[in-house]
Amino acid sequence: MIDRYFARALVILALLMLHVPLMAQEKTGTKEGFALAPGSVRIALVDPNIRVGEQSTGGLFEPNADWTQQARENLEREITRALGTLGNEVVRVNLNTTPQGDSLRRYNALFGAVASSVVEYQFFPGNRLPTKKQDKSFEWTVGPGLREVLALEGYDYILMIRTSDAYGSGGRKALQMVGLLAGVAVTSGEHIGMAGLVDIKTGDLVWLNADLQMGGDPRTPEGAAKRVSQLLEGFPGAPVPGAATTGK
Amino acid sequence: MKRPLLLAALAVAASATVPADAVDKLGTLAPYTPAYEPQGVDERGMWMMADEVEKLLAVSELRIGDEELNRYVERVLCDTVGSDRCAGVRVHILNIPAFNATMYPNGAMTVWSGLLLRVRSEAELGAVLGHEFAHFEMRHSLRGFEQRRKATDALAWLSVLGGFTQANTTSSQFSILSSVFQFNRAQETEADLQGLRYLAQSPYPSRAASEVWQHLMEEADATAAGRKLKRTDSYRAGFFDTHPTELSRASYLLDQALVYGDAGDGRSKDYYAAMKKHLPKFLADQVKLNDLNGTDYILNGIAGTTGWTGELLHARAEMFAARGNPRDLVTATTLYLQAVESGYRSPETVRGLGLSLVKSGKRSEGAKYLEEYLAALPEAPDASIIKLYVSQ
Repeated sequence: MIDRYFARALVILALLMLHVPLMAQEKTGTKEGFALAPGSVRIALVDPNIRVGEQSTGGLFEPNADWTQQARENLEREITRALGTLGNEVVRVNLNTTPQGDSLRRYNALFGAVASSVVEYQFFPGNRLPTKKQDKSFEWTVGPGLREVLALEGYDYILMIRTSDAYGSGGRKALQMVGLLAGVAVTSGEHIGMAGLVDIKTGDLVWLNADLQMGGDPRTPEGAAKRVSQLLEGFPGAPVPGAATTGK
Repeated sequence: MKRPLLLAALAVAASATVPADAVDKLGTLAPYTPAYEPQGVDERGMWMMADEVEKLLAVSELRIGDEELNRYVERVLCDTVGSDRCAGVRVHILNIPAFNATMYPNGAMTVWSGLLLRVRSEAELGAVLGHEFAHFEMRHSLRGFEQRRKATDALAWLSVLGGFTQANTTSSQFSILSSVFQFNRAQETEADLQGLRYLAQSPYPSRAASEVWQHLMEEADATAAGRKLKRTDSYRAGFFDTHPTELSRASYLLDQALVYGDAGDGRSKDYYAAMKKHLPKFLADQVKLNDLNGTDYILNGIAGTTGWTGELLHARAEMFAARGNPRDLVTATTLYLQAVESGYRSPETVRGLGLSLVKSGKRSEGAKYLEEYLAALPEAPDASIIKLYVSQ
């Protein structure tokens, strides 16, 4: 059975996507007063959530298993390479092989929901909820139950990464060109990335880096390197590189 | 400029017409490919996404892990669609008190507890499982995605070109939108009829499929009556309906079942024997929906097979206790007592009985039962409140 509201939502979404360019105002948030000294903690990195596909002419996401597989291999390799540069010990925790990994998998999904809420309700200042109006407040959590997760024993923080790429299809690009002539704004392609650090003792999100227009094509090794450096830019406790990388 | 627009709209509309179902008198099944692997970019992409979802389903807190129940539902699926077919499916039973089941393109199926509460026999359960399996075998998720993509592509072009030419494209947009929902309804009908073929070939009677929808309409009538709402059944689906109406499903499924003319044992008693362990939980969730008449309809449906068991009497008592008018408390007390007399004396029953008595002014009689509740569940979350009634 197809979800009752799925088709309707898709159609409405496709219509909206023609007119709403995505422009995040802010890209990084840190919990007030949070700082991490190098070499002071152990961090668990769980399976990055990665999906790559195309954007159809009408704006639907068309998942692509091959591209996703390529991106996963490239990103995993680049992340592994970057782990040594983060200032603290980061250990890759594999959800499929870790005993007692079930609740960690649930928390990983919950993190995605919380991070999306941060982007929507914090990084777009116009959308801020009444309790999150103050400029400095960054109060988001996955709940204190995180400390009960057995698979995280011996770690202080958990690092979660998500990327979602939809490359504009030929049809979408053609639509964009014609739209340009017709005076209708059409966006093509969507490249969302998020990296977040959660305190295991409290469940609080202490650092989040999120961008709705990420650079670097994770299907290629060079692109994946660029993507990972953008995702981990400003990672707490990491030594600041001589020249900060910016741009797409 | 009008012609290409029209052509685009027509191309979408044409792909959405209902496939003419040849009347098959035997309900023969097409050969089945076991261990199917997804083909092409779209299908492989959809399977990848579904695999991700299924990993979460497998660890979901909503999942009912009880092995016996899972084996049983899988057995009914296999008896319905055949053991070669059912091997491609993993069933995940979810604790959601609504009538539904869903199918993912990779062979993951969810069955909701509200469905298990409502179907009245293995045959009725098989009818719904067979319908879901038909979506899988006919690769409906993929076909539906392709059709939605075609429709939204056409819509995107319409809105851009419409802006370009200043032409009014509203009616074309409506016909494309309508095609999306028509296509989905056509898939549902297709899955209904394929599901019926499985039933006709199985030991179960295919007439059961129609009965599922008849009972749902009757329940909806009861709910509406209880809420003083007007409700009518129609054969015609509305613009945004993703499924054919219950009345039309009940009707065409019955017509086709009569063509098959097969007979068999629906195995009602076996069904409720398998549900016995879970029924109190399913009923407790249903009672919380605050739908006295609808719930009463469900209870009567179950009692039609099993008689008024203690579990059913207890659930009925809880319903009246929750509404809590003075007359309801009298009814609830009576029903709790009947449940106890029939041998069903769960901690929740004596708790409900005690509270009903206390609230009716019979404090000392009530306290006796509440003490029994506290003795049985000293760590209950409401223990400290209940103690207040006992100590005075």
